[in-house]
Amino acid sequence: MKKYLQIIKITFQEYFEYRLNFILWRFRNLISLFVLLSFWLALFGEKTDFLDYSKSQILTYVLGISLLKSIVIASRSIDLGGQIKSGYLTKLLIQPINLFKFWFSRDLADKLMNIFFMIFEIFLVIKIFNLNLLFPKDPATYFVFFILVFLATGLYFYLSFLLSCLAFWTDEIWATRFLFGFIFLEFFSGSLFPIDILPGVLKKIAFCSPFPYLIYYPLKFWLGQISFKSVFWVILMEIFWLILFKKLALYFWEKGSKDYGAYGG
Amino acid sequence: MQKPIIEVNNLKKYFLIHKKEPGLVGSLKSLFDRRYEEIKAVENVSFSINEGELVGFIGPNGAGKTTTLKCLSGLLYPTSGNVSVMGFNPRKREYPFLKQISLVMGQKNQLWWDLPAIESFILNREIYEIPRSQYEETLAELTSLLEVKDILKIQVRKLSLGQRMKCELIASLLHCPKVLFLDEPTIGLDVVMQKKMRDFIKEYNRRNRSTVILTSHYMGDVKELCKRVIIIDKGRLIFDGDLAEIVEKYADHKILSVVFSKEIDPKKLEKIGTVKEYCYPRAVISIKREAISAAAAELLQNFPVADLNVEEISIEEIIREVFTGKDVA
Repeated sequence: MKKYLQIIKITFQEYFEYRLNFILWRFRNLISLFVLLSFWLALFGEKTDFLDYSKSQILTYVLGISLLKSIVIASRSIDLGGQIKSGYLTKLLIQPINLFKFWFSRDLADKLMNIFFMIFEIFLVIKIFNLNLLFPKDPATYFVFFILVFLATGLYFYLSFLLSCLAFWTDEIWATRFLFGFIFLEFFSGSLFPIDILPGVLKKIAFCSPFPYLIYYPLKFWLGQISFKSVFWVILMEIFWLILFKKLALYFWEKGSKDYGAYGG
Repeated sequence: MQKPIIEVNNLKKYFLIHKKEPGLVGSLKSLFDRRYEEIKAVENVSFSINEGELVGFIGPNGAGKTTTLKCLSGLLYPTSGNVSVMGFNPRKREYPFLKQISLVMGQKNQLWWDLPAIESFILNREIYEIPRSQYEETLAELTSLLEVKDILKIQVRKLSLGQRMKCELIASLLHCPKVLFLDEPTIGLDVVMQKKMRDFIKEYNRRNRSTVILTSHYMGDVKELCKRVIIIDKGRLIFDGDLAEIVEKYADHKILSVVFSKEIDPKKLEKIGTVKEYCYPRAVISIKREAISAAAAELLQNFPVADLNVEEISIEEIIREVFTGKDVA
């Protein structure tokens, strides 16, 4: 266990090594949060309701996206694809470490870093825009929300790992990453807007995919728009996706590391 | 008889490589019509190595040296054949196996690029679960042997190649591996640094009785370090034995280099031996081992000789001959 703790530490150190990079990265986050909020505030104008959402519901959702992105989506396992291609993976394969745990440790460091700063930034925008957010009253909601987010984090990890494993066979890792990252992830996970405002067919497609479990469902539940009874089914489905993608990731990893050419040298 | 620590039987490793014609048109073609070619990187190689041996693995570029090392360290799955290292099957990548081996690749960085080398060492301490006292001791020993004490806190990317290679070595030796694979450990290093590296490897092998397999282009490395060499070419093993043996077997002639005081008719030299080079005042003649004294006597008697030297053929030359078609059994 200690080795993975050390990996978390070393990942932190890497971030601090490049201060300017780090500051700019946070600045970029803050700006995109500003833009998204201003957009929705402008859209509402004087109205209090829009597309069946109240103003404070949407604003809570938008800030929720930022927070959940730093918990669920923030990760380093994207680098795995590049490392497979460059042959850097060799270094990891000859050491007595579990590569899944290695990458999860790296991800964890990234998440902790993101969460820490995101909380500050969220407080900042709440003050600046003088926002009125929704907080559930029932303590049980927080508990269930935690479970949803926990499962979502695992689901995203295996999804992302699986995608990186494709680099064992294809040369174009960025194409698949782009498709996954921008089209499916941003769109179908609900990290731009709640997906139930989408038109019929797109909505159906989105709900058949594993993506809404990452952002949309947890936030919907936070807003009180999913009952305790129906959230049970959401959790069940989420577990199903989690197990499925875990199995797939393990399978493709095993297969891929057998085919691995350890190029270079 | 000692049981070998490394055993390789009929190892084969084939790769499928996708071939592309040059240029944009070639790239477009390869979109629709991919041609694959099977490359036989390693073909039926067998050998065994005993504990504590320091074996040189030589061969031209693309001979299959690195591929063999990668099969031995568990990075590559052999197409067929058996590999056993310390009784383990490397392919399984079991922790007890991985904890006892190390692979250093000269042209690859294995340290954390953006951090000082010491951070990589600390991480390795945790990864290999090295007891703290042992770690401190080994680190102190290695850093003083390689004289790198004052660069451990500098970002790896800012180190020179030589400094980085030394740190790479330290990182891969901290857990005192029983079997050490060194792939071109002196590549790109200057002569002084090469020498230091060799001395270190020799000393390390002697002290720890660890088994070392070393690949190199530099014959100097092999000459100085290895008693035994394995030569492979185009994936096939063509020689396995003592370095001295290969010299004896293939160096059936010596080199006479002569400096003349007056110009002579080079044709006359042909009678003495094979003239490899004649450019007044110097001549280089290759002469059968047993005929060397007679040839020298004749030269001194009948030619205006200013200086005369008898030299052994260099190892490089012998190996070159071995590779360029001379049949080796």
